[in-house]
Amino acid sequence: MRRRNCLGSRALMALVFLFLYAPIFLLIVFSFNKGNSNIVWTGFSLDWYKSLFQNRLIMRSVYTTLLVSLLATAIATMAGTFAAIGFYSLRRRTRTALNTVNSIPMMNADIVTGVAMCLFFVAFFTFWGDFSVWFNGVQSVVVLPERLTLGFGTLLIAHVTFNIPYVILSVGPKLRQMDKNLVDAAQDLGCTWMQAFWKVILPEIKPGIASGALTAFTMSVDDFIISYFTAGSSSSTLAMTIYGMTKKRVTPEINAISTLLFVTVLVLLVVVNLREARAERTGQERHPVSQKLTQMLDTPKGRLFRRGAAVVLAASFLIAVVLLTGATNAQPVVNVCSWGEYIEEDLITQFEEETGIIVNYQTAESNEALYSLLKSGAGDYDVIVPSDYMISQLIEEDMLAELDYDQIPNYGLISDRFKGLTYDPEERYSVPYAWGTVGIIYNAAMVEEPITSWSAMFDTQYAGNVLMFRNSRDAMGIALAYLGYSLNTTDEAELREAFQLLKDAKEQGVYQSFVMDEIFQKLEGGNAAIGAYYAGDYLTMLENNEDLAFVVPEEGSNWFMDAMCVLKDAPHYNEAMAWINFIASTEANLANMDYLWYASPNQEALEQYPAYYEELYEEELGQETYDIIAAPQEVLDRCEAYLVLPLETRKLYNDLWTELGI
Amino acid sequence: MSKELIRLRDLCMAYDDELVLDHLNLYINDKEFLTLLGPSGCGKSTTLRIIGGFTAPLSGDVLFDGVRINDVPPYKRQINTVFQKYALFPHLNVFENVAFGLRMQRRPDPSDPKRNTKLPEEEIRQRVLEMLEAVSLKGFENRRTDALSGGQQQRVAIARALVNRPKVLLLDEPLGALDLKLRKDMQIELKRIQQQVGITFIYVTHDQEEALTMSDTIVVMDKGTIQQIGTPEDIYNEPKNAFVADFIGESNIIDGVMVQDKLVQMYGRQFPCLDGGFSENEPVDVVIRPEDIDIVPVEQGQLTGTVTNVTFKGMQYDIIVDFRGFKWLIQTTDHSPVGARIGIKIDPDGIHVMKKSRYSGLYGDYSSFSDEYDELDTVEPEEGGDEA
Amino acid sequence: MKPKLSRFAIPYVIWMALFVVAPIVLVVVYAFSNDLGGFTLENFSKMGTYAVVFGRSFKLALIATLICLVIGYPVSYMMSREGERFQRAAMVLIMLPMWINFLLRTYSWMSILENNGLLNQVFQKTGLLSLYNSLFGTSLEYFPMMNTQGAVVLGMVYNYLPFMILPIYSVIVKLDGSLVEAARDLGADGVNVFRRVILPLSLPGVLSGITMVFVPSVSTFAISKMLGGGTELLLGDLIEQQFLGGAYNPQLGAAISLVMMVIVVVCMVVMNRFGEGEEQAVIL
Repeated sequence: MRRRNCLGSRALMALVFLFLYAPIFLLIVFSFNKGNSNIVWTGFSLDWYKSLFQNRLIMRSVYTTLLVSLLATAIATMAGTFAAIGFYSLRRRTRTALNTVNSIPMMNADIVTGVAMCLFFVAFFTFWGDFSVWFNGVQSVVVLPERLTLGFGTLLIAHVTFNIPYVILSVGPKLRQMDKNLVDAAQDLGCTWMQAFWKVILPEIKPGIASGALTAFTMSVDDFIISYFTAGSSSSTLAMTIYGMTKKRVTPEINAISTLLFVTVLVLLVVVNLREARAERTGQERHPVSQKLTQMLDTPKGRLFRRGAAVVLAASFLIAVVLLTGATNAQPVVNVCSWGEYIEEDLITQFEEETGIIVNYQTAESNEALYSLLKSGAGDYDVIVPSDYMISQLIEEDMLAELDYDQIPNYGLISDRFKGLTYDPEERYSVPYAWGTVGIIYNAAMVEEPITSWSAMFDTQYAGNVLMFRNSRDAMGIALAYLGYSLNTTDEAELREAFQLLKDAKEQGVYQSFVMDEIFQKLEGGNAAIGAYYAGDYLTMLENNEDLAFVVPEEGSNWFMDAMCVLKDAPHYNEAMAWINFIASTEANLANMDYLWYASPNQEALEQYPAYYEELYEEELGQETYDIIAAPQEVLDRCEAYLVLPLETRKLYNDLWTELGI
Repeated sequence: MSKELIRLRDLCMAYDDELVLDHLNLYINDKEFLTLLGPSGCGKSTTLRIIGGFTAPLSGDVLFDGVRINDVPPYKRQINTVFQKYALFPHLNVFENVAFGLRMQRRPDPSDPKRNTKLPEEEIRQRVLEMLEAVSLKGFENRRTDALSGGQQQRVAIARALVNRPKVLLLDEPLGALDLKLRKDMQIELKRIQQQVGITFIYVTHDQEEALTMSDTIVVMDKGTIQQIGTPEDIYNEPKNAFVADFIGESNIIDGVMVQDKLVQMYGRQFPCLDGGFSENEPVDVVIRPEDIDIVPVEQGQLTGTVTNVTFKGMQYDIIVDFRGFKWLIQTTDHSPVGARIGIKIDPDGIHVMKKSRYSGLYGDYSSFSDEYDELDTVEPEEGGDEA
Repeated sequence: MKPKLSRFAIPYVIWMALFVVAPIVLVVVYAFSNDLGGFTLENFSKMGTYAVVFGRSFKLALIATLICLVIGYPVSYMMSREGERFQRAAMVLIMLPMWINFLLRTYSWMSILENNGLLNQVFQKTGLLSLYNSLFGTSLEYFPMMNTQGAVVLGMVYNYLPFMILPIYSVIVKLDGSLVEAARDLGADGVNVFRRVILPLSLPGVLSGITMVFVPSVSTFAISKMLGGGTELLLGDLIEQQFLGGAYNPQLGAAISLVMMVIVVVCMVVMNRFGEGEEQAVIL
C-alpha cells in the first residue's frame, strides 16, 4: 500500500502539470513583454500593467466579473445551505427527485443552460412588458418599468442558478455525515432550535459550506458561455471581453490582469492551505484571537455589537447592490453597438467628458450576428452601426426608430452622394458612419505572383493558406462576384452555384479557416497567405506586416456603407442623438478615419484628411493609400452595394451557410 | 424514594404506519434507576426520545411532576440526555462541550430580577471543572473530543449532561460502543454516579445483564408494549411470559399442563411447584432456569436424557441435554461427557409456571444452540426521526 | 417545537421551477414551433442535415474524454498514493488554472500552435523540422497544427482534464486502505488488487469524470472557434450560430439543444445506474 514507484509517478504528474501550466506560464511571461506580441519577446516592461488600469473596458469587465461572482457566491451559498438542509430532511423519494432537478444545471451543457435561460428571460420580458402596460394603465400608484432587458440582474440570476447546485452538493454530504443526535443534544442542553442551528449544525457543516462557496466562486469566475447568453449588452464579464478580443487581437493588458488574478488566488490558496495544515498538525481548533473575539462578542454589549454589525453588513450589501444596479440609471447612458475596433476610443472619452453621458460600447461580429443579437433580445442597444443592406432589412422589420435630425445638425456635413442611398431613400433612419470596399489582402512574400482575381480565393494552389469570411453575405458575395453574377441575385440556381464553389473549395482544403477579425493576427503573423477583407483593415495590418498587399479584384466587389441607426424603443433616445451628432462631426470623422482607415462620408473630412495626416505624422499620405481608403470612382464603378434580399433568399442564405459550415 | 416524577399515559407512536408504541403506560419514581429493556425495535428508544422531548407522540400524555409537558421543547425540560455514540460536538473541545449547557442557561439577574442573565464565566468554569473531576477527566479540558478514547468520550457525555443538574438523566444505550471490560467498569461507575447525584436515571439498553446489574426497576418491552415491570429479582425469578423469561437470562421453556395448584405436568410426569392460581388442566409455559436443574444418576432422575453438547464456561459447564427431542440447557459444575445418559431433578422452587401468551412456543428451545442474546443489534429505526 | 426543516427547501424549489425547469420547458416549446409560433416538426426533420456535425462533435468529444481518462486516471491514482502535503499541493495546482479564464488559456494555445507559433519556432530552431523534411522528403516550413481537429481535441483535453482528475481522485482517496490489505491477504497481487478492488470501487468517480468531460466537450463552441478555425463546425457552434451568430433561427437552435439535452439525460441515467447515489464523487 505504501510502496510507491516514486520516480515514474512523479514524472508523469510533472508532465501533466507542465501541460496544464505551460500556456499559463506563457501568459504570465508575456504580460511583462515590451511589445504586444504573445510570441516574440522584445524586452521586459511593466507597461501593460500600467495601461491595464487605464483600460476602461477591461477594468469595467473585471469589476463586473468580481461583483457578479461575489454576489452570486454569497447568495448561492446562503440559499444553497438552506436548500441542502431542507433537502436533507425530506423523504428519500422526494429528495432523490429534487436532487435530480438540482443537478440539471451542473450536468447540462452550459450552452443549453445559457440558451434556455436567455429564451426564458426574453419571454418573461415580453410578458412583463404587456403586463406592466396593463398594470400602469389600470392604476397610477405604482409605476412599473415597461421595458426590462438582459443585464446585470439576469447575469446574476443565471450565476446564482448554476452556483447553488455546487453548494448543495458539498453541504449535503456533510449533513448526512453529521451525527443526527447532535441537534437533539444541543436542544437537550438548552438550545432553542435556532440556537442549535447556529451553534451546532452550522459549525458542523462549515467545511462543506466553505468548499461549496469556493467552488461556486471558481465556477462564476471561469464561466463564459452562460454569461455570454444572459448578460445582454450592458454588462460584460471579463470572459466576454476576452472573447470579444480573441476575435481580433488580445491586448497584453489581459495577460496582465490574468497574472494579477492568478497570483492573488495562488497566494490566498497557499495561505489557507498552510494554515489548515498547521491547524491539523497542532490539533488546535481555534485561533486564539478568534477565540478572544468570540468571547468578547458573547458579552451583552458584544451581542448588541454583533447584531449591529450584522445589520450594517446586510444594509451595506443591499446598498451596494442598489447602487451598482442604479449607478447606470443615475447617469445618462448610451449603449452603442458597432464592429470590433471600429472607433477611435479617445472619441468615447471625449464625448463622455463633453456631455457627461456614459458610453457603453459593445461590439458585434457581423451584420448577421448583430441581427441575431437584436432578435434574441440579448442586445439592448440604443445606437447600432449596421451596413446598408441590414439597415433596409431592419427598416423593413420595423426595428428602427426615426431619427430627429434637428438634434443632429452635423448631418448637413455628410457628402450628398452618401445621402438618400437605396437603403434609406427618404433619409429618415440613418446617418452614415464609414464606407469602404472589400478586397483581397495577401502576403506578397507567400504568393507566386500578384493577385488580381477572386479566383485566388478558390484556388487549390494556396490550399490551407486562404482565409474566408465567416459571414454568409460576404462569403457568398465573393463567389457570386467571381462567377460574374450580381451580388444581390435572388436566383436560386446562381446562389447554389456560388455555394457549390465555396463548398468545393472548402472540401479541397483551400480554406485555413473562416474568420472575421481573427484575420488580423493571422495575416499579420504570416500564418496565412490570402484573405478577403475590408480595405481599411488592410492598412491597419500593413502597419504590422509590410509584405501585405491589397487589391480590389477585377471582377468587381462590394462597396459598403455603415450607418448609425437608433433602435425602436431605445431607452436613451436623446443621448443617442447626441452621440450620433458628435460622431458625425468633422473632427470625429477625421479621427475615426485616421484610426480605422475607412473612408468617411463627411465631405470636409474626406477632403481634409491628407492634410490632417501630414500634420499628424509629418509625412505625406500617398495617393495610393488614399485610394485604398476612399476608393476612386472607377473602382466604385466595378463594385456593387448589397441590397436587402427578399425573405425567401435570406432563408436560403441561412440554410446554405449552415450547410457550408458542416 | 417512591415519589412519582414522570408518568406516561397511553402513549402511541408510529413511523410510516408502523406502530412502535402501543398504548404505553408507565410511571417513574424520583431518584429511581429505571431501565427500559428490550430488543431493537421494541420502542424503548422512542419512549426515551418522547421523554426527552425530541419526538412528539401521536397520542397520549407525558407528565412531569404532575404537569403535562408534551408541548414543552427539549431545551426547557429539566431532563438531560446521554446519547447513543455520545453526540459530542466535534467542533468544541472537552471543556466547551461540558460548558455548552451552562452557557445556554439564563437565570434572573440578582440585581434586576426582571432581567435574565447568563451564568458568570467563573461559575461555569468551576462547575465544569468539578464535573470533569467527578468523571475522572481532570486535565482533559483542552483536548479535542475525537482525540479521546471511547470511555473518555462516554464520561464527557455524562459530564455534559449532569453539569446542568437535571432532575432526570436519560441514557440511550450509552455503553454500547465500549468493550466488555470497560462496559463492566462503567456499569458500576454509572450506578455510583446515580447514587451520588441522587437523581432519576432512565436507561435504555438491550443488554439484560446491564439492566440486572444497575437498575432499581426494569421495564421489559417488546413490539411497543410493556411485557413486565419489576425489580431485577422479580423479572428474573418471576417472568410473566415466555418472552421475558427468554430475554432475561437463560431459560428452558417447556409446554406443560397445570394439573392443580402447585402441581404441573411435563413430559407426562408431574412436578411439584410453588405456583398457583390457574384453572385445572390449563395449558401453561413452564420456565426452568438452567442453574436450577440438578444432574443425578439416571435412576434417581425425574426425567432422563442424553447429553449432546458440552461447553466449558469457566465457572460451570453448559450442557445441552436432549429430552425426547426437546433440548434443554443445563448449567452445572459437574462434567458429563457427550453421549452420556443422565437423569435430572428439579426442586419445586426451581419451577416457574406462566400463563400461555403470544410468545409461547417461540422461545426456550436450545435445538440450535447459540448465544442468541448476542445477536441483537442496537440500531433503532431512523427514518422519519426528524418528523415532529 | 421543531420547525419542519423541509420547509427550508421551498424557496429553492420555487427558484428551480422558475430558472431551471421553466427555461428548459421553453426550449422544448421552441424546438417544436416555427418562427410564427405554430407547431411543427420541421426543426427535427432538418436534423438529418446536421448528422455530420453531430458525428464530428461526438467523435472529438469522445476522443478528448478517452485521452482525459487515460491521463487522468493514473494521475489521480498516483496522487492518492502520495503524502498528505503533496496531495494538498497537487489539488491546489489542479484547481488553480481555472482561475485564469479558459478563453485566455485557449488563446495562449493559439500562440503556441500557430504556424509561426512557439512550437513551430522551436521545431525550426532545433532542426526537428528539417530532420522531418529530410526523413520524409517533404518541404514543410512548419507543422500545421492550428485549425485542425487535433488542436480542438487538445483544447478540450487541456480545459477539461481537471474535471476528470478531481472526481476520480476524490473517490480513490476515500477508499479504505484495509480493503487493499484484505485483497492482498486473500491472495491478490498488485494487478489484481487494482483490477478487482480499486477499479470497481473508483468506477463512480470515473463515470462522473467522463460525464463532466464529455458534456462540455461535445457542446463547446469557443474552443472549436479558436483552435479549429471555424472550418470544423461543432454542435456548440451550430447552436450559437442559431442564437447569436450569423444564422438567426432560435427554433432550430432549440431543437438541436433539445437533442443534446436528451443525450445528457441518457448520460445521467447510465451514470446513475452504475454509481447509485455517488454524488459526492463530483465534489471538488
